[in-house]
Amino acid sequence: MPTPFIETLLLTARLATFTTLILLVVGLPMSYFIAYSRFQFKPLLEAMVSMPLVLPPSVIGYYILVAYSPNYWFGRFLNEVFDVRLAFSFEGILLASVVFSLPFMVQPLTNGLRSIPISLREASYTLGKSKTTTFFKVLLPNIKPSLITAVALTFAHCIGEFGIILMVGGNMPGETRVASIAIYDEVQALNFDAANQYALTLFLISFVMLTLIYTVNKKSDTWKMM
Amino acid sequence: MENDVIEIDVQKELVSAHGRMTLTIKVKLLGGELVVLFGESGAGKTTLLRMISGLTNPDRGILKVGNSVWFDSDAGINKPPQERNIGFVFQDYALFPNMSVFNNVAYGQTQGDKCYVNELLQKFGLEELSARKPDKLSGGQRQRVALARALARKPDFLLLDEPLSALDGDIRTSLQNEILKAHGINNATTLLVSHDLTEVFRLAHKVLQIKNGTITGMGKPDQLFLNNQISGKVQITGSIVKIQKQDAFYLLTVVTGMNQILKVTAFQNDIEKLSEGDRVMVFSKAFSPLILKM
Amino acid sequence: MNVIPVLIEAITCSDGVVLVDMQSDNCWLSAILVEGDELPTWLTKGAAVSAVFKESELSIAVNLSGKISLRNRLPCTVQKIECGEIMSVVSLKFGQHLIQSAITTRSAKALELNTGLEVTALIKANEVFLVQSIKNAQAPIPHPHQL
Repeated sequence: MPTPFIETLLLTARLATFTTLILLVVGLPMSYFIAYSRFQFKPLLEAMVSMPLVLPPSVIGYYILVAYSPNYWFGRFLNEVFDVRLAFSFEGILLASVVFSLPFMVQPLTNGLRSIPISLREASYTLGKSKTTTFFKVLLPNIKPSLITAVALTFAHCIGEFGIILMVGGNMPGETRVASIAIYDEVQALNFDAANQYALTLFLISFVMLTLIYTVNKKSDTWKMM
Repeated sequence: MENDVIEIDVQKELVSAHGRMTLTIKVKLLGGELVVLFGESGAGKTTLLRMISGLTNPDRGILKVGNSVWFDSDAGINKPPQERNIGFVFQDYALFPNMSVFNNVAYGQTQGDKCYVNELLQKFGLEELSARKPDKLSGGQRQRVALARALARKPDFLLLDEPLSALDGDIRTSLQNEILKAHGINNATTLLVSHDLTEVFRLAHKVLQIKNGTITGMGKPDQLFLNNQISGKVQITGSIVKIQKQDAFYLLTVVTGMNQILKVTAFQNDIEKLSEGDRVMVFSKAFSPLILKM
Repeated sequence: MNVIPVLIEAITCSDGVVLVDMQSDNCWLSAILVEGDELPTWLTKGAAVSAVFKESELSIAVNLSGKISLRNRLPCTVQKIECGEIMSVVSLKFGQHLIQSAITTRSAKALELNTGLEVTALIKANEVFLVQSIKNAQAPIPHPHQL
């Protein structure tokens, strides 16, 4: 049986990892669409994706909580069809964290894709390669710095998220009690040693992640040289 | 391919630096020809190349290569670039920065035929560089990689968009040979955009002169660019910047289109019709000029 | 430049080198041209064209005798001599036409040129240009972007 400290850290890591993985799958096509499509209402989509950057977490948390409630269609649908109740569960905070971290994944990827000269895509098409092949063989490898930035930012941001998790998930050990919430809890209980342990761990992880991002971005002057 | 006729009859509205214009191109090319598209920038040369490759859609018209229809607005046919067997060399070469020289060339192949990739690398003198990434190459080397890559698919139609404009002097000359080589490898019909007369005379079987979106001239370089009404084979145009009386005759200073200064003697009967600022043609017989290697 | 109307009498081609024989005022003239694979359409036997040559390529002989490679020998009468410090321009009457020759003043003196003197004007065949018609030749000067 792991200590509560380890249990909390593992839960935090699990949340951040799953969120990042889900967002990779969702974010790549979304970024491709935002970067290259000439869809008329694209600004609307871009605004929606970026909302979490400007809104207080409590606002988003509130709406998510409302959506999870069996009183509304989404919550009712999940409840009736899958017998799933998302509020105050790990799956619930996972989904909330996916929504909330979306811009951290999508924005760097979109910027990365946009910075690739259009002729690179066109060259691939004229060489007989499909859009999918072009994406995986040409585009993705050439936005590696953006990809690393997006993954690291999303991961770090998930670890640090507090408000929305508290709103949607509460503080249930082993289920929704992630490190940032544990700190708050320990301080409330005047356990400053434990709080310090959590705080220092989060501090170090975030610091390492950001250092990684800046190192990567410095190394790759990408391909402006080309 | 060699006997195929390429039929181009396309129109497209363009907004250029000089305002709106309609690109109207109607021409038939013979398979295996090396045709240079010549004209000022903004004349529509690159757009024509892009329409042939399928990267830009014409507003209407027909594009036929042999028996295969690539574009037909009436029939609603528009093959994507992937299905047109072309090789395209972009002005910025568009080499994939993540791939080595070898992989850049190999990427263009349908089946991975390593031997053919090596053959191409060897033909363009790239074997030594095959493991290098494009950012470690010089401009001339990049151009050779771009040519090799464009040929990897054994295209019927090789399209080159000002492939030498980023290079200077000596490299240009040696790369003109590479282009001739590229054209020779499959004898693919080659269409090259250029606004450099040296290139035109060295490379072209046929020149298509384009101005403001329409073809204004077509033919062999000699027919198109030498004034045929004078038997003098050395013809230079320029403007008179100075007329000086010298002794019993006059000395004219003429600045040519290539910004070179010429000094030419003239006599009283010439001067009566000339004044400073006039555009003139300086000509001489093919016999008269002496030549010196630089 | 000197321009005289001529009538083409014969054209001989060999590998792009063209020898054109013509007449002007009962005087035979010849020109050597370098052409491409095809001759311009206006360059045919019987065509009336202009022969053009530069003043400085026209030599003057008095009492020409002995053998000389030059076959373009135009009988002329001196009309006017304009002497410069080094160069002189001699105006000559050739049949109906006025042509000029630029020679050194030293030579002009040595030849003892005087108005009315009968001389022979000489020009090498490779220095003679043919022009479809001098008006047409001057009109279409290509735009610099085309050249």
